[in-house]
Amino acid sequence: MKKFYLIVIILAIATVGLSSKWQDNKDAKPQKKSVSKAKTTKTGKEKSNQQKMMKKLYTNCKTCHTYEYPTKSDPALVNCPRSKMISVFHRPEEGPIIVKMNDIYGKYGPVIFSHRIHSEMSEMSGGCNGCHHYNTTGPVLKCKKCHAEERKREDLSKPDLNAAYHRQCINCHRQWNRNVNCDGCHKLKENDSEQKIAILVNAVSNAQHPEIPHPEKVVYETKYNKGKFVTFFHDEHNKIFGIQCIECHRDENCIRCHDINRLKKGNNISFQQKKIHKTIDEHHKPCVACHQKQSCDKCHKSNIMDRFNHTITAGWALKHYHQTISCNKCHGGKIGKVNRNCSSCHKKWELGNFNHSVTGIILNENHKEIDCESCHENKNYSVKPVCNSCHDDKNYPKDKPGRIKSIRVVSRK
Amino acid sequence: MFEEPQPIKFKYFTPGVIILCLIAINGLAFIAARIIFGIGSVTNLNNLYPWGLWIGVDVAAGVALAAGGFTSAALGHVMHKEQFHAIVRPALLTAMLGYTFVAMAVAVDIGRYYYIWHPLVMWNPNSALFEVGICVMIYLTVLYIEFMPILTEKLNGKIKFNGLLHYLNEPLNKLVNFLDKILSKAMFVFIIAGVVLSTLHQSSLGTLMVIAGNKMHPLWQTPVLPLMFLISAISVGFPMVIFESMLASRSLGIKPEMEVLSKLGRFVGPILGIYLAFKLGDMFIRETFRYLAHFNIESVMFIFEMVFGVIVPLIMFLMDRVLKSPLKLFIGSCLVIFGVLLNRINNFIIAYHPPYSKEAYIPSFGEFSVTIGCIAMLVLLYRLAVRYLPVINLHQHPMKVVIDE
Amino acid sequence: MKEISRRSFLTSIGAAATGSLAISANQALSQPTNILSEDRRGVLVDTSNCVGCRSCEWACKNAHGIDAGDIESYKDRSVFNNMRRPGIDSYTVVNEFSNEKNPLLPIDVKVQCMHCDKPACVSACIVGAINKHEDGSVVWDTDKCIGCRYCMVACQFQIPVFEFEKAIQPEIRKCDFCYERFKKGKLPACVEICPLEALTYGPRNELIKLARQKIKRNPEKYINYIYGEKEVGGTSWLYLASRDFQSIGLPKLNNKPAPGVSESIQHGIFAYFVPPVALYSWLGAMMWITKRKEEVKQEKEIDYV
Repeated sequence: MKKFYLIVIILAIATVGLSSKWQDNKDAKPQKKSVSKAKTTKTGKEKSNQQKMMKKLYTNCKTCHTYEYPTKSDPALVNCPRSKMISVFHRPEEGPIIVKMNDIYGKYGPVIFSHRIHSEMSEMSGGCNGCHHYNTTGPVLKCKKCHAEERKREDLSKPDLNAAYHRQCINCHRQWNRNVNCDGCHKLKENDSEQKIAILVNAVSNAQHPEIPHPEKVVYETKYNKGKFVTFFHDEHNKIFGIQCIECHRDENCIRCHDINRLKKGNNISFQQKKIHKTIDEHHKPCVACHQKQSCDKCHKSNIMDRFNHTITAGWALKHYHQTISCNKCHGGKIGKVNRNCSSCHKKWELGNFNHSVTGIILNENHKEIDCESCHENKNYSVKPVCNSCHDDKNYPKDKPGRIKSIRVVSRK
Repeated sequence: MFEEPQPIKFKYFTPGVIILCLIAINGLAFIAARIIFGIGSVTNLNNLYPWGLWIGVDVAAGVALAAGGFTSAALGHVMHKEQFHAIVRPALLTAMLGYTFVAMAVAVDIGRYYYIWHPLVMWNPNSALFEVGICVMIYLTVLYIEFMPILTEKLNGKIKFNGLLHYLNEPLNKLVNFLDKILSKAMFVFIIAGVVLSTLHQSSLGTLMVIAGNKMHPLWQTPVLPLMFLISAISVGFPMVIFESMLASRSLGIKPEMEVLSKLGRFVGPILGIYLAFKLGDMFIRETFRYLAHFNIESVMFIFEMVFGVIVPLIMFLMDRVLKSPLKLFIGSCLVIFGVLLNRINNFIIAYHPPYSKEAYIPSFGEFSVTIGCIAMLVLLYRLAVRYLPVINLHQHPMKVVIDE
Repeated sequence: MKEISRRSFLTSIGAAATGSLAISANQALSQPTNILSEDRRGVLVDTSNCVGCRSCEWACKNAHGIDAGDIESYKDRSVFNNMRRPGIDSYTVVNEFSNEKNPLLPIDVKVQCMHCDKPACVSACIVGAINKHEDGSVVWDTDKCIGCRYCMVACQFQIPVFEFEKAIQPEIRKCDFCYERFKKGKLPACVEICPLEALTYGPRNELIKLARQKIKRNPEKYINYIYGEKEVGGTSWLYLASRDFQSIGLPKLNNKPAPGVSESIQHGIFAYFVPPVALYSWLGAMMWITKRKEEVKQEKEIDYV
């Protein structure tokens, strides 16, 4: 008998729980029924995703609760393991362009905040976490979800909303311009504030972060005796190797660029390195990520290095098409000596399907049908062709087996 | 053998007295300025140094140097050493005048002088200053009562008003007569009360600076500060009586009462010895001698105070030669007085190091003027009193009073 | 302000003159209140959050009827060139200290009365004009004060200031923890305005817990010390900082209550008036005995003669 009651009670609780959940869903998006339907079809997949996520997070009940049966009155929460909670990560385009902050009423009007610029830049300085801290997976919460609007309150563990906003902004901005003046962000409420705000909204919405200038090369003067100078070619890494900014610039301080002293110089932003105190590991971390097993002297030289020159290093000038392709295309994953024979890469090139004009010489009718080896001895295409096997009086490159194509050098992009 | 004290006839205004008058007037002028324009206009006091010369010298040293009143009263009346009766009245007069000026100095120094009665009705028993205040107020009253017989002696049956007030003569004379009788009987109550009150507030003056804690240099800051103040006050009591007596005799052209003064001097050595023992004991227990190694104003002042204010006079007062010679006795007394004065200045001014202070406090001209003016007024009133009231004993050899000094 | 002080001056003169001490009978013989309430309030000053905007200075002046001037004038950061102390027209000031770790983020420290748990000024005040109230505030009372400035001598933080330039009714001035606002259920003016909530107001016990939590969570940000938790027996205002507190202008003090020694001396001397009465009796006995001796001696002398 008792068991029966127990089952009934459990069922009742379960139904109540389920129905309330259903209710929540319905309340959340009553208009977009189709979407919610579509979602429900996905639930299976979502669930497995969620499980995966849970696994990834190592989250179980004990992560948050000290024992297994928390109640509403006594949730038995552990001290929040904030570091274990993952934070939001969205791409900048996913967020709003501007945020109009007017939760707190006072003598100032709303603050128009360019979310786009900040989020774009935040990629290089800690990501969304910088502001959306302690945000668990799921939707991005509004600040006032956690931060009380009233300063006089019971829970003092979190700053109130006013402080939360200011702490987000002021600590960077005061480093930029060395002051904490209110009018940097706030505009006083005035008669024509509506209009002014509209103008401001428009301006901030269209505002773009100016293009970030890239240095060509950076020379580090190190304390390493055997090779003091490390020359880093920023543009090569960026353009040729295709390394994204955020792969190295992850936890930059905004001040790296936004310094009042730099702004004063106008657009001429210099990238002179300040002395930064980091551990050796930290210093090498961005380089070692790719240059894993190389000896010190690979980078540490006694002189400032010249730009990599394929002609000097490999003894083989990159021309035309070869200039445009990435290193890996020929060198594979590992940079090293590569067989210079064209056919080592261009395996399918044969008589008939090779368009000789890519070399710059359009073969005339006489030569079109001749075997490649007739001119290129032993299929060695890197060596100048010989003419005297057929022609006694002709010699390459004075004489050519056709006319020279006017070559348009394809510049690197 | 024992002659009664009597007024001494002498010319009041001498060149020295005129100078004193000028100094007193200068002091009064600065007091007036303080009342009209506020404390800041006259003093160098500021928020870091709220207490200065007026509290350190006028009040703290003033109270200590007026200790002759209670020590001689204790000796003369409580211990009934009759041979010292001669010095009791002059000591009483100086104590009374001294305390009056202490009260005046307090009134000048506090921001709201018209609220000086507040401690009478608003009590804070935790406050050392409250105890000092209350004790000084009561003791001042006791001193006035103790002084009353001198007045009644003078006035008994001699009140003669002319004109309209003449019908007051009889009742007033009766009152004086009554007071004279009642006081002579009840005086012992006040004498003992005076001694008790003195020990209380002399020591509490020491407690004043204890609360300043770290703000006071460790050479002086000690929990036994009240005891130090009490012993040093007792030690300076007799030298002060000797000093005054000698000075008065010289000024009034009387032969100093060396017999009494030498006997008084005998007490000084042991008391100074006890004081020195306490000072050194305190220093070794708290290991403050380390601070003497730092050569700075505090260590120099401390050594100065100890050597010239305690050790040298201690040696002097232990020597018979010194006790017998008027000049040496005078110098010895001066050194003790100097020592105690310096000790009070050190405690209240030199040792006081408020946090955040950038420059030390140096008293202003106005402050010096008021302090010196008060002393001048005190001397003038003393002269006035001995001229008209029976204060000084002219025993043994009734002196021929020299009118022109 | 002037009018009031003059009036109170006149009335006090009148009171003194007529000797009508009954007027102050309700204050008479009453010790100052010195409540150490269990849930007394406090403020946790997190110096790492303070940016030195000086809004608190402005709000404080407004709350206490001092001419605060235009808030725009508080932008001036040149005031930080010199270390400032609370004064008669500013009960709180912010000082700035350079930060070697990051020169762009200087350390700003607000200074005001610490509202000690065992206040030296309350113990020292001759007339009990300074009281500690249930909210922890230490408040000065103009009706009692005689202007002796002993509170300034006693204060270990050198906070009370005095109107030296005023001849009539000069005041002792210091932060009063906005006691008037507290009674109305409001926050202290400085706490209310602080844009970064570098000042957290709440029950002192909870603030200490909060401070501990902050230190635990950010051990590299704060030094492991809560200034004011134990100093001179504890203070209502507490400070957190990234480096030692002496380098940011707070005095090094021990943990004993400042009035402890002097009060125990005081109570020792006056323990139920036993020592004074004992001394009195002893002296009386001495007087009587010596008098007897002297009389006997004199009688003998007379006999001899």
